[in-house]
Amino acid sequence: MSFLSLVGVEFKKIKRSKILLILLVATVILWIPSILNVHMNFDMQAEGISPENNFFIQGFMGMSWFMFPASMVVGTVLLSQTERANKGILKMLSLPISTAKLCMAKFVVLLALAALQIGMAVGMYYVGAAIASSTQNYNFILQPLFVFKEAGLIFGAAIPMLAFFWLLSVCIQTPIFSIGIGLASIVPSVLMINTKAWFAYPMSYPFFVITAEYGKLATNLDTAQVELIPWIPVAIGITILALSISCLRFGQAERR
Amino acid sequence: MSVSLECKKVKRTGFLPAFLGGGILAAAVPVINMAVRSEMYLDLPGNSIQILLDANWQMMTMLNVLLVVAGACLLYHTEYADNAMQKMKSLPIRESSIFLGKAVLTICMSLFVLAIEAGAVAFCTYHWFEIGNGFFSELCKYFGFSFLLMLPCVILSLLISEACKNMWVSLGIGVVCVFTATMLPTTNFALSLFPFAMPFQVFASTDVTQSMHYIDSAIAELAVLCLAQLAFVKARRLLE
Repeated sequence: MSFLSLVGVEFKKIKRSKILLILLVATVILWIPSILNVHMNFDMQAEGISPENNFFIQGFMGMSWFMFPASMVVGTVLLSQTERANKGILKMLSLPISTAKLCMAKFVVLLALAALQIGMAVGMYYVGAAIASSTQNYNFILQPLFVFKEAGLIFGAAIPMLAFFWLLSVCIQTPIFSIGIGLASIVPSVLMINTKAWFAYPMSYPFFVITAEYGKLATNLDTAQVELIPWIPVAIGITILALSISCLRFGQAERR
Repeated sequence: MSVSLECKKVKRTGFLPAFLGGGILAAAVPVINMAVRSEMYLDLPGNSIQILLDANWQMMTMLNVLLVVAGACLLYHTEYADNAMQKMKSLPIRESSIFLGKAVLTICMSLFVLAIEAGAVAFCTYHWFEIGNGFFSELCKYFGFSFLLMLPCVILSLLISEACKNMWVSLGIGVVCVFTATMLPTTNFALSLFPFAMPFQVFASTDVTQSMHYIDSAIAELAVLCLAQLAFVKARRLLE
């Protein structure tokens, strides 16, 4: 079975899971306060940031801090639990497919869910910006190129985090521990981005990247900037390590 | 009877260690914060509990609420995963009493978590501030208030988990609710009555009437949620 058709099978499995609805509700809730409090964006001139940039970046900061990582934890629960019900995973493991391939196919689905949620956030941003523009008589809509660049940055920075969450859900069979550790690890990311060792903590990457972008847009505000040298190698190392351990461990508990 | 049954069910699910671990993690927040930057807090006016909770309660509650949501999902996941719920329904017990058993268990565990956190606050006060007269009655007041405000959140997350057969749906709704709670402004009274936002409130000794309003609304929400649970069980029986 080719890798692509395996990924297709994984997508079919989550077809009726209602996960997209949950992700959509989360993104809608994300933008509602921004639309209601849109006039506050005009008070941010002291930081040297234009109202339209502020509207955009505040929403994305809200997303990358808690909502996006927590939704991805939910996504890992979905991927691991759909097949544990009625022992579906046993049937998959009895097929002549390499387990590493199966594991990677599921990870690709997780990446797709992440991309979908960020895409929804971008879509909702344009809806929100259009509403805000009409209520305030001020153009809040930014260039698509810039918006997609920021969205792509968040997605790229989230890959090590997703690999780590995937590792948790593969290696820890007790669901409450994999969920609990995943959710609990998100909360201190606000503290971690203020320390020098932020690059060792994958859960803080998306939030760090977007805060750095905020510092770039606001001329009077200094936020820590991304230093590529310790970060990129460490991030790649964490991703490869997490993925290879999860490929090795995938299906071990069932095969015992 | 049903509470002890629930205790047996959660024996090997990791429910108890998760609450213990979560409680210790949340309790570590004020201790670490004081150890790293105690000079920021030592000169502030007001009593030590107020200072410590103002500085750390946001993060501690976040952990508590996430723990409650995950715990509630797990309690019903064990029932739904292998159709144990069908067997429970065929027994001569009411569905609401299963809910009650789970609720009592979760409430006991959150009381336990809050007790660990109260211990951490007492330790911080002992180590960095000083324990004055009536410190422990104050501490009980603050954490009793937090406990009461946590109850609607416990009941609502159990209700969500009961309503959804799949764990990711109930966890997803729970996560969305927690996220909504973090977005709501805490100063707006009506909005902060959202059950998931209520635990983020800290008892204000200067403004007792405001705190009494919160206590009253927590009790009202509890009553409404319990009625909703009874109605939901009846409605589902009729529709199934």
